[in-house]
Amino acid sequence: MMLLRLLTWPYVRKHKLRTILTIAGIALGVIVFVGMRTANDSVLYGFQQTVDRLAGKAQLQISSGETGFPEEVLERVQALPEVDVAVPVIEATVKTGLPGQGNILILGVDMTGDRSLRQYEFEEGDESFIDDPLVFLAQPDSLMVTSEFAAHNHLATGGKISFDTMIGPRQFTIRGIMKSGGLASAFGGNLAIMDIYAAQKVFGRGRGFDRIDLKLKPDVSLAKGQSALEALLGSGYQIEPPSSRGKQFESISRIFSIGASLNSAFALLIGLFIIYNTFAIAVTQRRSEIGILRSLGASRRQVRGLFLLESAILGLTGSILGIVFGLLMARGMANYVSSLFGEIYGVAQRVETVAADPKIIALALGIGVATSMLAAWLPARDASQVDPAKALHKGAYESFTAEEGRLRLIGAACFLAAAAVCLFLRGAEGLRLYAGYLSVVLAAILLAPAMVRCLVAALRPLLRSLLPVEGALAAGSLIQSPRRTSATVVAVMLSISLVVGLGGVSNSSYQSLMGWMNNVLNPDLFVAASEQISDRGFRFPASIGDELRRMDFIDEVQMVRTARVRFRGAPVMIVAVTIDSLARRVHPQVVAGDPSRMYREAAAGRGVLFADSLARLKGVELGDTVEIPSPAGVLKLPVVGITIDYSDQQGAILMDRSVFVRNWKDDTVNLFRVYLTKGTTAGEGKRRILAQLGARNRLFVLTNDQVRRFILRVTDQWFSLTYMQIFVAVLVAVLGIVNSLTVSITDRRRELAVLQAVGGLRRQVRQAVWMEAMAIALVSVLLGLALGAVILFYYIGIIREEIAGVRLEYEYPVRIALALIPAMIAVAFLSALGPAESAVRSSLVEALEYE
Amino acid sequence: MNRFLAAFSLTAALVRAQDARHIMQEVQDRARANSQRYEGTLKVIDSKNKISEKRWTYDRIGSAGGSKVVIRFSAPAEVKGVALLVVNHPERSSDQWMWTPALQRDRRIAFQDRSTRFFGTDFSFEDLEERDASQYDYKILGEETVNGALCWKLESRPKKSKSSQYTHAHIWVGKARYVFEKIESFHDGKLIRRLIYSDYQKIQNIWTPLTMEIEEVGRKSKTILNTEKLQYNVPLKDGQFTLQALRRES
Amino acid sequence: MIDLQDVSKQFDGKRKVTALDQVSLSIAKGEMVSLVGASGSGKSTMLNLIGGLDKPSSGEIIVDGQRLSRVSDDQLTRVRRDKIGFIFQFFNLLPTLSCLENAALPLHLRGWNRRRIDERARELLDLVQLGHRLDHLPEELSGGERQRVAIARALSVYPPILLADEPTGNLDSHTGAEILHLIRNLHQRLGATILIVTHDMGVAESCPRTIRLKDGKVVEDIRR
Repeated sequence: MMLLRLLTWPYVRKHKLRTILTIAGIALGVIVFVGMRTANDSVLYGFQQTVDRLAGKAQLQISSGETGFPEEVLERVQALPEVDVAVPVIEATVKTGLPGQGNILILGVDMTGDRSLRQYEFEEGDESFIDDPLVFLAQPDSLMVTSEFAAHNHLATGGKISFDTMIGPRQFTIRGIMKSGGLASAFGGNLAIMDIYAAQKVFGRGRGFDRIDLKLKPDVSLAKGQSALEALLGSGYQIEPPSSRGKQFESISRIFSIGASLNSAFALLIGLFIIYNTFAIAVTQRRSEIGILRSLGASRRQVRGLFLLESAILGLTGSILGIVFGLLMARGMANYVSSLFGEIYGVAQRVETVAADPKIIALALGIGVATSMLAAWLPARDASQVDPAKALHKGAYESFTAEEGRLRLIGAACFLAAAAVCLFLRGAEGLRLYAGYLSVVLAAILLAPAMVRCLVAALRPLLRSLLPVEGALAAGSLIQSPRRTSATVVAVMLSISLVVGLGGVSNSSYQSLMGWMNNVLNPDLFVAASEQISDRGFRFPASIGDELRRMDFIDEVQMVRTARVRFRGAPVMIVAVTIDSLARRVHPQVVAGDPSRMYREAAAGRGVLFADSLARLKGVELGDTVEIPSPAGVLKLPVVGITIDYSDQQGAILMDRSVFVRNWKDDTVNLFRVYLTKGTTAGEGKRRILAQLGARNRLFVLTNDQVRRFILRVTDQWFSLTYMQIFVAVLVAVLGIVNSLTVSITDRRRELAVLQAVGGLRRQVRQAVWMEAMAIALVSVLLGLALGAVILFYYIGIIREEIAGVRLEYEYPVRIALALIPAMIAVAFLSALGPAESAVRSSLVEALEYE
Repeated sequence: MNRFLAAFSLTAALVRAQDARHIMQEVQDRARANSQRYEGTLKVIDSKNKISEKRWTYDRIGSAGGSKVVIRFSAPAEVKGVALLVVNHPERSSDQWMWTPALQRDRRIAFQDRSTRFFGTDFSFEDLEERDASQYDYKILGEETVNGALCWKLESRPKKSKSSQYTHAHIWVGKARYVFEKIESFHDGKLIRRLIYSDYQKIQNIWTPLTMEIEEVGRKSKTILNTEKLQYNVPLKDGQFTLQALRRES
Repeated sequence: MIDLQDVSKQFDGKRKVTALDQVSLSIAKGEMVSLVGASGSGKSTMLNLIGGLDKPSSGEIIVDGQRLSRVSDDQLTRVRRDKIGFIFQFFNLLPTLSCLENAALPLHLRGWNRRRIDERARELLDLVQLGHRLDHLPEELSGGERQRVAIARALSVYPPILLADEPTGNLDSHTGAEILHLIRNLHQRLGATILIVTHDMGVAESCPRTIRLKDGKVVEDIRR
């Protein structure tokens, strides 16, 4: 500790900027980690919290995916001797239309029985109104809201709010106000209770329920109750404790959290190099100090300990800052992520609190400190091996020893070999891809110094031809001190490769998505029950389809019902549509199966079509017979075709409407795909549909263009989170450049002073610094672009095999690459401005005497 | 069964036996009528003395454990047309359905919900049903005076314990007229509800209480039912006491 | 050629140090002067001031008719570039540049064209007898050879003034004598004004004029 105070503190004080940059390097990695994780967890937690609050005392919930099931199930469940109380539930969110309120979650329940499961606490007095409970039931416009919601919107008992229902726009009367806390705090307090039979009408549920919540008899164990219910209902139903709904949601949105984890790992890796860089430099600069220490009797262990302790302190400081800012970022991001999830997955959730999860914080601290110490390990070892006798002589110790260079090359060769082996391995796709990816990155890191040397040597003539002295100086500086530059180059290279990889992925994704939209998304109009096409809370009765069909300006109507069901343990989207009509209109990219045969079979109910991505994720192949649970029992159908389909992020199972109606006993519709007759414009069609149906029904008519724009907007938002992380990665890399340059300037004070002493103008000195920065940037970018090409290959593989199952074309993002070169050079130039000024402003005399 | 509705079918009769079962059988027999109709006013007085009022018409066909009842609300306007059908069974819980005209929907009142309160009154859904006197065991606890009338104090326990929210009840039967004066219902020794009958009048030779006051102990509210236009043996048809009829007549 | 008029230089630190105290001095064109004195006597400070690496606290320095106190940093650099050659104790060669490039550095900084630079640099290295080591890096040379490269660099534009700060301080006596010989030789051939800071009395006495400084003041001015 004494050593720390005597030696480290003065150094830190002298190199404030560099210390700050180092801390920032760690902090940024931690920010991304904590921010993304916390935002993601807050959304998941918000969802689970709402689920828990809504569940009340319910021990088990019976559902059949999202499809719901017929009312009769309730009586059978209630009659089971193991069941104490079982109550039906319908759940949906609607736009309140009230300023600043967003969505409200409406829970349809049977008030007579529900109170034995859920605690409804009323505002004082209300309960004893005899009118209340009976009037509540008698009037289908009755709504009970939370006191919080009522207060926010200046509503009282008897107040009205209105929204569109499946039976047209309706006004609802507030007939009860729940005290806040418990149930009433679910969904952030934006909760309303409605009679379940009224909810059936309002949300177009026919005679079905979404869910049954139940409590078992006191002496019945959860497992026993579960198996009794399974025996009663068969495998078409999910009987699970409320807590498992969070896991289901997690599995739907897992792509997001995998992406977030990968990217924050990458950000930390880049941070690692910044720290390595700082410590490598510090050890170099403090060689004489270390030599003195050693000659005064400090042991190697003490010296190494000193540096590791320093790194731990830096890591800790960076981590704490990262956690603080990460949590701030999470606060800002959570709602964004939440609404994005709502739009992509159509799952109602609301972030209630963005709380710091102690586990994440501990992990972030651990990762930050560990990364920092890991990064400092080699420099600390070098420091401990400083020879006290030689330490005072200045020499070319910033270059690597020949042996180190050889070791690096051997290591790189090994990793490359490993990557090559991985390429040809069969089986264990995920492992092979991750291992290959890691090997390539490690090989690139090891090879970086050698590559820098080659590239700089190649660049030297170019630089010299631009500005002879400055160019030669810049190139020479880079060649002579690989230790100083290589870590920075690695950091920049990694972040550039990340940009190329992610940029390539997003480019290909957009292309693939556009292709799908052009092939499949071709109706003129979409008639939806919700503003958001992904929201499945409201459903049309099938009769609306007939009404649409009768309109003379409509050529063809396809009825679409989408719902998530449980398939092989995880929620999967089913799209039920009239296949023969679909087959006439759309031409998806067929991956496996004969196009005309597969539609014939599917239309006849003799098979289902799988999205390519889903088939890949679930290991489903053409000809397999898949088992899909439905309320009528397990549906066994062969896979007759595999196509490219982005109806859902994970892909969907396409089946004929008749199969769905038969097995789910549900003929409701989410969406009508409407083709207009020739000569009818979309605008005109929309206007006429609204004119004929709008008054009596809740419906939203979207033009093809609007739907495309919606999909592209959501996709943009999705990738914008990725871009934000890229931005952080680049920022980290820029910190690296600044760091490297400040060090370079300090190291070369004397050299730069000589330059001025023999007649170099300030302009010329500045230019030398700038050129060095730009050379670092150029070299790093070139390496990064090359590594990016390889990384993109792995990303596409990992996305295909592990994350989303999506088949993306490998296409190098040339435009991004071309844009990166000038952008990074410009960034390097900007980051060199400060160091260059400090170089020309320092005292010449001091610099010349600098030793 | 000795819930409040049974009280409308009390008949004056001679004392045949002095043991508890006979007393109860006598109470049931004296009140026996083929059908019954009245208009009721239901007043709920809450803990703050706020009074809310509701009116219904009550039709019953059959008697003792085999009766069927339709209660149809007539006021206030918001609940007009809401109806409740109770089909009693001598040996088990009744079936109950509710009809809400605005939704055009009937809904079953599940067995699990019978102990919940009947729409904000002090009654529970279970209190609306009646079972035959033979479904209970009785014993005499002694004699007491209630509302100035000398009574037997009886204890009744359902034979099938699981079919009721109550474990037992204390019943005060007036010796002079063989009518209920008071009923207290318990769950494991804790008093749940207290029911007091008053304004007895002899209608078509049946001593009938025109006022009943029920109190869910511990809630500090009470519910008072006043009956008017009470008639026995009115011409009602079995077909009126079905779900179909409920739907049709709204 | 070099005129100092009441030149003082103070360094601000915790304790104010007066390195030069109202020194007035004149060195004529073509003179070869040695500057001696104990450590801290102000001789290096004087050299830095004359070379325009630093500015005096008060007084005026005139180099080849140019007043140094009232010019901008860049003008100062131009004076250095065009009129002054520096030779340092520690050579101060740029380690990443070859001999030829080091020697040519000031010419590049002046923006000469490549061919001319190349010619001149070779000529200079021939002059210091290093014509055979053009493409070597400084670390591949011996101390004496490095100082020759430094001298070649100092001479690159044939400046009228050559300032040398302990040019032999970091060399063994034999090599030191060689370098001194070279400098004297050049003095005779090129006729430049030379100012050598040294504490080696042998070196000092080999110059026609020796100025001794003590505590920032000229205490002795010997002409031989």
